[in-house]
Amino acid sequence: MTRVGRELGRLLPVAIVLLFLAWWIPAYFSSYWLRAFTAAVVYSLAALGVGLLYGRLGLVSLANFALLGVGAWVSLRLALHDPHLPVAANIVVGGVVAAALGTLIGLPALRLRGLYLALVTLMSAGAFFVVINAIGFPEGGSGFTGRGGSGAIRNAPRPSFAENDSAYFRFALAVAILGFALVLVHLRTRPGRAWAMIRRSEAAAYSAGVNVTMYKTWAFTLAGFLAGVAGGLYAANIGRPGTGDFGAASSMLLFGISVSAGSFHLLGAALAGLLARGLPALFSQRGINAEIANMIFGFLLMFSLTAAPEGAAGQLTGLARSMRARLSPRKRRAVSDGEPAGVDDAANGASAAAEVGS
Amino acid sequence: MIAAITGTNLLTFLITGLTVGGIYALSALGLVVVYRATGVLNFAQGAVGAIAALTLANEFIGKGRPEALGYIAAVALAIVLSLFYGLVISPRLSRRDPIVRAMGALGFGLFILGFCGWRWTARIQKLDLPTDEWSFKIGEVTVTLTRALVIVLALVVTVAITAFLNKTRVGLSMRSLANDRELSSMLGVDVRRAETVAWLMGGVIAGLSGILFGATKQLDASSLTFLVIPAIAAAVVGQLKSLWWTFAGAMLIGVIEAELTNFNRISPYKDITQLAVGAGVILLLQRSRVVSFVGADR
Amino acid sequence: MKHRAMRKRAVFGAIVALSLVAGACGGDDDDGASDTEAPDATEAPDATEAPDATAAPAGDSPCLVSGEAATGEPIKVGSIQSKTGPDDFSSSGQGAKAFFECVNANGGINGRPVEFLLEDDQWTPEVASQLGAKLVNDEGVVAMVGSSSFVECGVNEPLYEQEGVVAVYGTGVPRECYHSKNISPTNAGPRNSALGIAQYMVSEYGAETMTCISQNIPNVGEWVCTGLVEWGETAGVTVRAVLHDPANPDFISIIQDSVSDNPDAVIVMEPAGLTVPLLAVAEEQDLGDATHWGGPTSQYLAGFPETIGEYWWGRYDVQAELTTIDNTSPDNQAWLATMDEYGEADDPRDTFSQAGWLAAKIFTDTLLAMDPEAITREAVTEAIQNVKAYPSDLNCGDWYFGPGDRHNSNHAGRIVTINDAGEYELVEDCHEHADPELEDILALEESEGLGG
Repeated sequence: MTRVGRELGRLLPVAIVLLFLAWWIPAYFSSYWLRAFTAAVVYSLAALGVGLLYGRLGLVSLANFALLGVGAWVSLRLALHDPHLPVAANIVVGGVVAAALGTLIGLPALRLRGLYLALVTLMSAGAFFVVINAIGFPEGGSGFTGRGGSGAIRNAPRPSFAENDSAYFRFALAVAILGFALVLVHLRTRPGRAWAMIRRSEAAAYSAGVNVTMYKTWAFTLAGFLAGVAGGLYAANIGRPGTGDFGAASSMLLFGISVSAGSFHLLGAALAGLLARGLPALFSQRGINAEIANMIFGFLLMFSLTAAPEGAAGQLTGLARSMRARLSPRKRRAVSDGEPAGVDDAANGASAAAEVGS
Repeated sequence: MIAAITGTNLLTFLITGLTVGGIYALSALGLVVVYRATGVLNFAQGAVGAIAALTLANEFIGKGRPEALGYIAAVALAIVLSLFYGLVISPRLSRRDPIVRAMGALGFGLFILGFCGWRWTARIQKLDLPTDEWSFKIGEVTVTLTRALVIVLALVVTVAITAFLNKTRVGLSMRSLANDRELSSMLGVDVRRAETVAWLMGGVIAGLSGILFGATKQLDASSLTFLVIPAIAAAVVGQLKSLWWTFAGAMLIGVIEAELTNFNRISPYKDITQLAVGAGVILLLQRSRVVSFVGADR
Repeated sequence: MKHRAMRKRAVFGAIVALSLVAGACGGDDDDGASDTEAPDATEAPDATEAPDATAAPAGDSPCLVSGEAATGEPIKVGSIQSKTGPDDFSSSGQGAKAFFECVNANGGINGRPVEFLLEDDQWTPEVASQLGAKLVNDEGVVAMVGSSSFVECGVNEPLYEQEGVVAVYGTGVPRECYHSKNISPTNAGPRNSALGIAQYMVSEYGAETMTCISQNIPNVGEWVCTGLVEWGETAGVTVRAVLHDPANPDFISIIQDSVSDNPDAVIVMEPAGLTVPLLAVAEEQDLGDATHWGGPTSQYLAGFPETIGEYWWGRYDVQAELTTIDNTSPDNQAWLATMDEYGEADDPRDTFSQAGWLAAKIFTDTLLAMDPEAITREAVTEAIQNVKAYPSDLNCGDWYFGPGDRHNSNHAGRIVTINDAGEYELVEDCHEHADPELEDILALEESEGLGG
């Protein structure tokens, strides 16, 4: 009971911040920024899954933007098939289908690790691009692909209670919070402990009776689900998804950005959304040539990977911790102890240990 | 609706497949050479080739400067960029996962790609090489010297680098690095020297292949950059290690893709071939592997 | 050592924090156009159609109005281009921009200058949607003019309908642009363009079999080639579609496939950038005389004949959705003069530029008839929707908006051939396209008296 209480105490400030954002962003920001922030929220949900796989298990998926596309396709197909289906339900179904595909893509992870696994997932993302280019996104026609010969083109609907941009932002934020909560619940319960053990040593986990196969697969399923749900939100946000966005490069970038934003912290996923969707919106708003913006983006990716082994989130939390430590000198030692060694494995070991300890 | 599947067509697409296979092979060989010695899957290779080709086309041929100088400058630029990434940026990631190191290269590639788009904005452009003038005919297909050169160059690179790895000291260290990086460096292999040579070779191959692709494919930075994906599929056939298998894999992918053109219904989907071959080979090779718990992260 | 790492961390954290803060402050502040011109490298737009400087006498502007620079309260107008991405399609925006700059320098719209907000959607639906919200909701533009996008029509149409904004489109490419209530392009679209060239192949060379090469993208390449197939069924022409993945580098296979059943004509439905290497391969295979070659208006572009090379001179026909770029007709000369005086030297002089310029002219002309104090979004939308025929020598029929649920006023075009001297030469003047999909459009024109 006290543990739960402590947990709630820690989450309370987060909840207050989120509530504030849900009110403040639609109230204060322009329509342009509201849509950009919605895109960022959606992206962070997909980044959450990728970060979970990499940060907690050391597994790499370069296919999750393709899975976002799967979620977008499925939820759009359902919505256009029957307008009476609740949009939120369509989004969940999109997530479930993407989760199934994510599980499939993750199966090789039972035997593969590292680069080869990454490449298999990359090939899956490439294959998805070829298929989505050929079949396109549904537009209200009949048949499996739902494309419509010569009829009017219909876009993805938003939930009836979240038609306008402000309401839709709050809806997307609420769904994203649920997604983060889902992951948090996983981390604080049995799967989280199992993942932490697997990350440190599969052999140890195995001998401790952890079902390694199941928990690894489950992580892929969960990441696929998050990507698929993000896809449903994405489709309803812009109405008409384009196939050009779903090249293998997008999935590679999703991973790259998640890692550079920090995959060991949940905050990293939120930052990934801001980096991937907020920063380009800022460049565009400031009238910076899109090509130059791409250069800056490539540079930032390179820079953050080299300068910040645990990503931007690690930097920020580290900064916050050291500031807190400076305010109360007594805790100084604890800070230097907690300082990560700067290598993935060490950082992970630390966070894994923290998980096991909790 | 279905184009007739005739002997002529089969031969035609065999030849066209081989010429495209040559393109894949050259890229893939560059990836393998760098990966073996440095452990970096060089996602920036295509972008480095693109900037070389665009420099040649826009800054030399387009401006009437001496063409020969242009070729030298283009390849030199590719080498410089390759070495810059390999020796300045990449070492900062040397202790990270292979995939994170690949992401660093991706960032570098995006940077170059953005630069190309900003610097050269012409909507249409073309790179004509002197070797386009000569050609010969096999069946229905005319093969220009440029295309033949791509295949020959891929073969030469395969043979030359194989010989280099087997016959020279640096080659020996590169081979040992490919086998076990940590052990090699502990045993006193000059890692830095081997890596420098590898990035240098990678730069040369990137530059040459960029120019040849620019001449045979669209001269466009982003399409040249993302040619790295079929190249990865081919490199995987050689397990990112064997140059000959990589060459064979590239040719195989090129030919299968081209032959699928025979089937109109499948044709739009034929690009899945490279991905299926790549993923298939990985899964096949790992089939017998038992999860070892202590397996290397590769 | 530890200290250094700490400082590095602080710097990086600060960068992230700063960019977020900057983003937060960006809420109510912007400088509009994200269209900073990058210096061009190679091709200065050719000398072949150097405009007649004498056509526009001094003091007489090429853009409807004349007088001193406008100083009144600006009228905000938006425009979205697909600039950064697989191909640069921002030529329409440059055409419209030049026109509005001319208007502003010459008295504006009854004294009020046009504030033209030109944006780049980077071929990305998400960006297009953000820009739509910015222009329509934040900036409160009275209309969208001269846009040219591969992704924007489908994304922003619901917003336009909801907010009562109309788009006088410059260059619509995908099907969505021709199936929207609030969007009416000045160009004809790729499907019409393909039909124009295909019909010419029949009338000029008696073609009975054809191949349509295009990218396998729904509502663009596939829509276009399907159009040819459907038309072929009514016209007794066998059309085979050769669709390829956009990323496929195997151009020889595409070309070999397209000629494998010895068609009478091959239609290359690609943007100019992709046509160049495809034709290079066809040249390499010496297929120039094996069949008749032709393409859509995207290949009607200054510099194109030189880039594809002498081999194709006398062997390639192109459909033009608007008039020939060297036409001596008044509107075309005015377009050239506007581009020369107010455009950049490296702005393309092509059909898309004409289309953007024409969109701006239609908009300006419509607003000139309004009370300058009563120019609101609502009034502008009503005025533009009431345009039932806007004649211009740039297009064959009259442009209109009208009450239709979809718009495709431009459905006739011209054919130019690349002659032996490497110049475009008009070989067929205005010719109607026989697209079966146009049935409803033609019926509405008949019943509502649209298009003059």
